[in-house]
Amino acid sequence: MSETSSEEARQIAQGARDRVHFEEEALALADQVYRVARGVSRSKEEAEDLMQETYARAFRSWQQYQPGTNLRAWLLRILTNLNIDRGRRLQRQPDVQPLEEGDYFLYNKLESAIGNENADEERVIERLSQNSVVEALAEVPHDFRDVVVLVDIGDFSYADAAQILDIPIGTVMSRLHRGRRVLKSNLAERAVPV
Amino acid sequence: MQPYLDGVLSDDEVREAKEHLEDCPGCEKRYRFEVTLRRYVRVAADEQMSPELRAKLAGLRTAG
Repeated sequence: MSETSSEEARQIAQGARDRVHFEEEALALADQVYRVARGVSRSKEEAEDLMQETYARAFRSWQQYQPGTNLRAWLLRILTNLNIDRGRRLQRQPDVQPLEEGDYFLYNKLESAIGNENADEERVIERLSQNSVVEALAEVPHDFRDVVVLVDIGDFSYADAAQILDIPIGTVMSRLHRGRRVLKSNLAERAVPV
Repeated sequence: MQPYLDGVLSDDEVREAKEHLEDCPGCEKRYRFEVTLRRYVRVAADEQMSPELRAKLAGLRTAG
């Protein structure tokens, strides 16, 4: 074997190892990616489809990933772009929400639902079922929901969320603010009276 | 309140916010509510992936 071809063989072997390594790392992040997929999807089935499309694309275009950068953010960027491509965004227009109610709205509503001004926070929030949280989140308009899911559920910084969604940080902040308010307003509608 | 909860304030601003929370029972109560609510939303939204999906994702691998 000539020197050139043995160098080529070495590079091919290294490339194969890199690829295996990439796939293992990507799969190890699947739980975290799924949390976001589920948060931005309306159903479990939709989230599962989105996950498969995301991983199929990630495995195909693995060479575009820059080793040493944030792989989780890279995967989620694929996921959010696919989610846009699926046209899901056309299906639900942002509603006019009673945002003027302000941040106190949910709190006041929950507090009055249990009829005790001095109730502790845990008890107040227990008036919300797990299902109602999932539904309330699903009803937040998608642009706002993507940001809320990334920051509040996925634990991404504003800067990471901005990079993933390809929007300015200021937009992340304003959507986050508005998204949280809409979420609270949706939750308030579902608060269970005692 | 929200920037404080998100941990994006400067050290000085954090100190100022903490001092205010200590002196203001109304805001302190709201603060605890917000912290608890965020945790609750996170836990409620944390649905585990099914083993079938996990297997399907592993099956998409092209290498190895």
